[in-house]
Amino acid sequence: MVRMIMRAVRHPWITVSVVLAVTALMAYVTVGGARIETDLDEYMPSDHPAFVYSDMAEDLFDIHDGVLIAIDSGGSIYDNETLGLIRDISTRLASDFEEIESGDVRSLYTAENIIGSEWGLEVRPFYDALPLSDAEPAALRAAVRANEMVAGRMVSDDESAALVVAEIPGDEYSDALYDRLVAWVDAFDSGAEIHIAGRPIVEGELARLGPADMARMAPLVIAVMAVVLLILLRSALHAAVNLLVVGAGTIWSFGLMTLSGIPVYAVSTMMPVMLIAIGTAFGIHLHNTAHLYARRYPDASRARIAEHAVRSMLRPVSMAAITTAVGFIALLTSQVLPVRYFGLFTAAGVLIEMVLALILVPAAIVAFGIGRAGRRESSPATSDESGTPGSRVAAVLAGRGVLTVTLVASVVALAAFGTSRVWIDTSFLSNFERDSDIVRTDRFVNDHFPGTSSLNIILEADRDNAFREPEVLSAVDRLQRSVAGHEEVGGSFSIADYMKRMHRVMHDDAEEYFAIPETRDLIAQYLLLYEMSGDPDNLNRVVDYDYRTANLTVQLKSDSSAIIEEVIATLDPHRADLDDLGLSVNFAGSGYKSYVFADLLLTGQMWSLLIAFAIVAVLLSVVFRDLVIGILGTVPIAITAVVNFGVMGLLGIPLSSATALISSIAIGIGVDYAIHFIEQFRRHAVIDGSGDLPGIVAAALAHSGRAIIFNAVAVAGGFAVLAFSLFPPNRQVGGLIALNMATSAAATLTVLPVLLMYYYRRSPVFQKQSYATEGASQ
Amino acid sequence: MRRLTGTKRLILMSAALALTATAAFAGELTGREVIEAVHDRPIAEDMHATVTMTLTDRRGSQRVREIEQYTLDTAEGERRLLFFTAPADVRDTSFMTWSYDDGRSDDQWIYLPALRRIRRISAEARHDSFMGSDFTYDDISGRHPDDDRHELLRRETHRGEDTYVVESVPRDGSAPFDRTVTWVIDGEWIGIRREYYDDRDRLYKVLEVEEYEQIDDVWVIPRMTMTDKQRDHSTTMEMRGIELNVGLSENIFSERTMQRGVR
Repeated sequence: MVRMIMRAVRHPWITVSVVLAVTALMAYVTVGGARIETDLDEYMPSDHPAFVYSDMAEDLFDIHDGVLIAIDSGGSIYDNETLGLIRDISTRLASDFEEIESGDVRSLYTAENIIGSEWGLEVRPFYDALPLSDAEPAALRAAVRANEMVAGRMVSDDESAALVVAEIPGDEYSDALYDRLVAWVDAFDSGAEIHIAGRPIVEGELARLGPADMARMAPLVIAVMAVVLLILLRSALHAAVNLLVVGAGTIWSFGLMTLSGIPVYAVSTMMPVMLIAIGTAFGIHLHNTAHLYARRYPDASRARIAEHAVRSMLRPVSMAAITTAVGFIALLTSQVLPVRYFGLFTAAGVLIEMVLALILVPAAIVAFGIGRAGRRESSPATSDESGTPGSRVAAVLAGRGVLTVTLVASVVALAAFGTSRVWIDTSFLSNFERDSDIVRTDRFVNDHFPGTSSLNIILEADRDNAFREPEVLSAVDRLQRSVAGHEEVGGSFSIADYMKRMHRVMHDDAEEYFAIPETRDLIAQYLLLYEMSGDPDNLNRVVDYDYRTANLTVQLKSDSSAIIEEVIATLDPHRADLDDLGLSVNFAGSGYKSYVFADLLLTGQMWSLLIAFAIVAVLLSVVFRDLVIGILGTVPIAITAVVNFGVMGLLGIPLSSATALISSIAIGIGVDYAIHFIEQFRRHAVIDGSGDLPGIVAAALAHSGRAIIFNAVAVAGGFAVLAFSLFPPNRQVGGLIALNMATSAAATLTVLPVLLMYYYRRSPVFQKQSYATEGASQ
Repeated sequence: MRRLTGTKRLILMSAALALTATAAFAGELTGREVIEAVHDRPIAEDMHATVTMTLTDRRGSQRVREIEQYTLDTAEGERRLLFFTAPADVRDTSFMTWSYDDGRSDDQWIYLPALRRIRRISAEARHDSFMGSDFTYDDISGRHPDDDRHELLRRETHRGEDTYVVESVPRDGSAPFDRTVTWVIDGEWIGIRREYYDDRDRLYKVLEVEEYEQIDDVWVIPRMTMTDKQRDHSTTMEMRGIELNVGLSENIFSERTMQRGVR
């Protein structure tokens, strides 16, 4: 292996040319072929039963996410200008956009008013011809106020704003349509302010910001890493070589992704930052070793220095890379496809970086030497270990093991308490700044209308025509009233609303008839009447053709999965009742999918965490040929995981699609420190041979402590760049990973030595025999 | 036997399409002449039939309604009275329409037996759905030749019949379609198929006349299906027990009959 690497290293220019050529090819492939996927449905595992049901119901009831266009008149909407605007927007949406059918646009202009008059029952538009005469606005206002199916839904309660909803079939929605819609709305020249909101718009904004964020983060992280590398390596040339390693690793993994036909998902936009921050660690360790060797043997040739670095670092660097990759590979257990791809291709990127680092870093040493820093005089501190920070730490740890463990235990206990407060929340809107246009628009629409998000409750009966039975409709009505009690619920809509409205209208608008009709025949006859006079497609949105399945739409003022969970819980008191009526309850719609998605994230998170732990423990056990060492090696990362969740709980950072990724990744990266430390501990135990444990710890700390801290600083620094991300959750990710690196490094340098000392003190067999055999074998 | 005039609605659902020739045309006809020939076909004074209206959605679910239908052509306009006999929960629900030749909007009443009350309901626009079906009032009643510009596209053999294929483009823009194409049997002057195209020239609806027969001198259509190609929804109207010119009295088209039924 070393020989193979050295063969490549001895021809540095050829090697660099090949790497550059492949990188250029991959860059070409990526730029030419990469496709950005922003459809949030693509995140959902389509074969999951909840999603299969939801898709079925969405198809059955024509449930789509709507683009919400809110018209803020500033005064009253009942003037000719605003009414004209509502009409123009409603009609031109369908004529200007091929993707939008006129039947899918709903507004005060398109709404049908079911009214009773001395004349009888009428279903007719609220208004048609403009301008209205002087008396008409007042009549229109009265008509709207009297119709609870429109008042508060299409016109705000304070009458200052009106809503136009355009439902766009999922397969018709595209980034191009989003751009055209936003520009189209901007082009309306009027006194009123026009807001555009709704989930398709949120998706469109995400699509726009995702690549923008990547374009902003990638150069920033490169700049930060360049500075960090310059400081650590003290050589512009070697810093550049390391940047080439991480740059090529990033571009290759995107190239591989493109070649595999996998699109760039929102989560993939974090890949450059991750790969650049993580990948520099390999070079840092190689350089560190080369430096130490060059200091000890100032006359060694470049090739010798390079070969020594490769020979002694091949195992720890490849182990570190593999465990890091394992952290990402563990994400393959996720049911969320983009997360799986993210894990897979970031793992591939890490391994590519390892290979490139093992070739290019020694190649650069062969070509250019180690640089001035390497030839400096050794500092006295490193040759005399008694006065080093490492030995002081070792002394403290040896004497105060119990105190250390107690301290750590209390931190862990506090963190465990914090962990119990972690809440799961996936909200697409939380991806935006609180004062961004999209959040403010969302707030405006939520303040004036029932809500920008929705949950569809699908009630399915065991028989046809169940939703013509008064008992069933009454149960639906009770359900709606109960759900409306939740403060984030802005309204709900079902076949029961049609029945109540028709019943009242047919009784001269008498309030006591605003109820479900008493007999099945009357309900059937109202339905027949509605089918004969209204648009039957409207009924198809609330009940299926056989009156067996009904769709109850609940409008929500939040797209948070935690809120949806609460709303779903409000159904619990009704379940027995519904069961008696032969009704089963299911859910549909994008809001519900988000909720299920959040649940999947949590399960996925738990699994990938456990699997990462298990694989890392096995790897450590195999590499160090000791099961206990394998387990002890995972202690720092276990502490890291607990502290991570504890801090999330205590700071109120929710477990979201972004933050859920962190802990298994942090395990993969964080365990590297344990690997390096255990490696050095055992090396020095062999060299020492005396069994003087505090001395061995001091030596190991002196050797690896600095590299571990450098490594942690470099990785944490790279991730800290995410503080400048356009997406607030990515900032949390950056902060948490930086924290995890610090925790991992600290735990490795404190708890792990204590545990190792404790373990070896108790295992005389190992002290006396294994040291000797291992020493002989090396 | 009378000629249809003006914008008057036809008594028979089939009347828009079923016509006999009133003159022997020689040689090629223009599109307009074909449509006029269809339009000028004699019709019955009155009719009684049992209608089965079957609505089918895109999943194949069906809603079946059975209706006893009485229609009468009067000097003032058309009278239509419908009694639902099935499904059971709408039995005895009745529906009456008076339409007027002078252009006044229709009067419509509905009787809901569960409410024991007759209500007038709003007048339908000609392009609105006929009783929740895929047919519009316009489809049922027929368009006047003057409503459209007609052009003969070609002659072809369709379903074994020698047909004229005529394209008709509405003169006003209120129709939900931009053009129709109709297949008319040469010599019989019955339309047996019509395609409707929307404003983006996509196929919107298709009418298939599946059965047609002559009772006395009048062509009737016992079975036809309108399919909305965009909603993937269809309506089949079947008429059985068709009786023509039975001498219905104008008196039966009353609110009283709506409640009590025809005796």
